Amino acid sequence: MKIISRNLLLFALLLLIYTVLFRFGLGSLLSAEKWAWVVIISVAYGAMIFVTAWMTGKRDGMNNFLFDAGFRWNLTTFIVWGLASEGWFLLGFHSAYESIRIDHITLLIWSGFLILHLILFLILRRRTIKGIHKTNIFD
Amino acid sequence: MKTDDDLHKELLSAWEETYKKGQLTLWIFLSLKEGPKFVSGLQESIEHFSKGTIHAEEQSLYRTLRKYYHLKMVDYSAGKGHKGPDRKYYHLTPLGESLLKSFVDRNILLFFEEPLKELLLNDSKTNIK
Repeated sequence: MKIISRNLLLFALLLLIYTVLFRFGLGSLLSAEKWAWVVIISVAYGAMIFVTAWMTGKRDGMNNFLFDAGFRWNLTTFIVWGLASEGWFLLGFHSAYESIRIDHITLLIWSGFLILHLILFLILRRRTIKGIHKTNIFD
Repeated sequence: MKTDDDLHKELLSAWEETYKKGQLTLWIFLSLKEGPKFVSGLQESIEHFSKGTIHAEEQSLYRTLRKYYHLKMVDYSAGKGHKGPDRKYYHLTPLGESLLKSFVDRNILLFFEEPLKELLLNDSKTNIK
């Protein structure tokens, strides 16, 4: 059982690629004032993250029995998205319509949900034996 | 319209499907109690013991054994493969053995005691008192 598994690393890598592409597309579309497309790529970006997290999480669960209530995936998304977004601004790739403040507010709200997720995981961890959920031991 | 025979077959199949869920551990433990086994040997042993009613996929057995190894219920030692590389021979640990004993004492042996034994071995009594 691994905390940082191959599937989690694959998810992090794909998420980084999606985020860089999304940031690039978002900046270009905002500069071109194509608002409808901004909504479309934002929804597509969110959907791709969801599908990738679902698939890599499911694959991870088949070989890795570690129960985490999805917390590792949430934390990874937070870290990768946060670093990619901060880097985007620090390197000066952002458009005139983008503000780093929005990203900071997003990260602040997200960190609140992350803490709630951690508390939920710590509560649910009582239902595990050596990191494996009791219902998954003798399935 | 289904005949009683069709209904019997359908219900039996549904009951067995539910009953077999969670049974794999018992069959694995019983097979390993007989002696250390590699995965395909374990698979054959389970089929033989259960008279073909339980079939475990090799992948499913590997996955289950990995989990039990993590939980210290089974351990393995490397043994000679038939032709290829060394194989993992799985065996029950003292924890696995005591767990099997406790489970059998609490859940299986009662079927060998009266009145359950008689009820299981004899045809049901149809006369109403």
